[in-house]
Amino acid sequence: MTAALTSTLAKSSVRTATRRRRRPEAFTVISIIGVTTFMVICLIPFWMIVSGSFTDEQTLATTGYSLIPRPFSISAYKLIFTGPTLLGAYAASVFITVVGTALALACTSGLSWVIARRLPYVSRPLSVFAYIPMLFTGGLVPLYLLVTQYLKLQNSYFAVILPLLVAPFLVFIQVSAFRQLPEEILDSARVDGAGEMQIFFRIGLPLSKPILAVVGLFYAVHYWNEWFTALLFMSDVHKFPLPLLLQNLISNVSFSQMLPTAAEQSTPVYQLRLALTVVTIGPILLAYPFAQRYFVKGITLGATKG
Amino acid sequence: MTDHSTGPATRRRGALRGSLWLGLLALPAVAFFLVFSYAPMAGLVVAFKEFDISKGIFGSPWNGLDNFRYFFSSGDAGRILLNTLLLNVLFLAATLAAGVTLALMLNELRGRYFKRVAQSTIFFPYFVSPVVIAIMLQVLLSGPAGSGGAVNDALAGFGLPTVSWYTEPGPWPWILTAVKVWQLGGYMSVIFLAAITSIPEDVYEAGQIDGASRAQMAFRITLPLLKPTAAVLLVLGVGRIFYGDFGTIYAIVGDNGTLFPTTDVIDTYVFRSLRQIGDFGTTAAIGLFQSVVGFVLVATAVLIQRRYSKETSLL
Repeated sequence: MTAALTSTLAKSSVRTATRRRRRPEAFTVISIIGVTTFMVICLIPFWMIVSGSFTDEQTLATTGYSLIPRPFSISAYKLIFTGPTLLGAYAASVFITVVGTALALACTSGLSWVIARRLPYVSRPLSVFAYIPMLFTGGLVPLYLLVTQYLKLQNSYFAVILPLLVAPFLVFIQVSAFRQLPEEILDSARVDGAGEMQIFFRIGLPLSKPILAVVGLFYAVHYWNEWFTALLFMSDVHKFPLPLLLQNLISNVSFSQMLPTAAEQSTPVYQLRLALTVVTIGPILLAYPFAQRYFVKGITLGATKG
Repeated sequence: MTDHSTGPATRRRGALRGSLWLGLLALPAVAFFLVFSYAPMAGLVVAFKEFDISKGIFGSPWNGLDNFRYFFSSGDAGRILLNTLLLNVLFLAATLAAGVTLALMLNELRGRYFKRVAQSTIFFPYFVSPVVIAIMLQVLLSGPAGSGGAVNDALAGFGLPTVSWYTEPGPWPWILTAVKVWQLGGYMSVIFLAAITSIPEDVYEAGQIDGASRAQMAFRITLPLLKPTAAVLLVLGVGRIFYGDFGTIYAIVGDNGTLFPTTDVIDTYVFRSLRQIGDFGTTAAIGLFQSVVGFVLVATAVLIQRRYSKETSLL
């Protein structure tokens, strides 16, 4: 009786306390300032790139970068969208991303489903099989020899796609998501005479659309940004994906000679570099509002799973 | 044997057939792991061979531990191992600290809309390619003509001496750490925020009754309760401590030899010697060394973590 009374009292006092608290405390103020500062730091480098990409090359060279593009110039973008090299790189990146994500998602889903079903003698060994590569890898040299000497994939987009096809971490995220599907639905399908394949394709996958989106996005971002395998295995400039082309523009200014030039004018190398950067981030920005929500869901799932 | 028979034997056979079909689903991924994860592990025998590309991996003659001896007796080994460990410890400590701090701060934000915008904004750098980060860094540190840059402009504005960043190896561990915090701070904070939301509300109510301020609640309640999550992330990070985060470091530093004293790590070193010298044996030996030490580190970390907090163990 007394305990109940004190607890109600406590609750009501808590409620009035929360309601009364109008003036934010010091820590809250510090937090708002801290978060805002970090937000600005996150955005400034990006904004400088955007601003620089619209700034005239001459101005860039003499007065450096500024937060407002003056004089405003779109010559770099004109070059990008008229030259075949850059459009080619874009096409290469799109191909790698689309095909890579589709294949990766298919492989990951298939494996995860089998692990998630907890089949005796199958699921557990399979999950160990997928876990070991997280702990121990062969390293760069054997992979390099494999791709160049045995598979002969140099200058093929599949040299970028295949080595990264299945990420063990994402397999485990998928497994835990598949395990959350209600068993009753699968059982009732089984009673209705559905085969294992039918259950997977007609019930398992459609019910798992959110997690497929999460895992697909992880793969898509990964493939879109991937440049290491491209650097290793691509030497044909005309097949470079975007990040590798960008990297070449950084390290090798003379590379810009490949780009189309307007008659007398010299190529606006630095402006072009920045414009190309903006163009590279572009698709990610477009997908961002949608992607970020799913990403948060994905890493939250991965974190609580761990 | 008819279609209508329903003995346990047929049912078992049916289940087996079901498993076979299921096995088919796993097949592509299994093939991937065999070819791209397990075959390279076998390929590590190159580390013990005097590799000759014309003879192939298995035709090349053995040379025992020569490759290892060559690497460890070269002047590079100590510097590279030290850089790798130092940079990774810096990265791990800084990103974890930034993640926790940001999560605690985000947790203080009351306005729903502001909180969401803030979270989206600080998460954004996670999507940015290392190559793009390298370009951003150039804008900040070097400017188009190889001198200047936004940071130097600011330094000059305060009357401070400017720095020629790309020829000065000293500050680079800190610059790279800042890059990592920029890139992963938001990502880490999301993980910690998820952990914060799973803390039961009555813990905070009790704190409020005791008259705790917001700061006290953050440091006395939230922070200790985030320990298990931090431990998991730490173990995961320790497992990667011997890998140099090649993508970011190579994109930023590239072949700029001036910066090697502080930025050259195992992965970049291996890549360079493979590309420029083509010494497969030695680079494979370094890779094997890296894998073994990495494995020992992660195993130790998991064991230690398991001893202290069973319920959050990874394995």
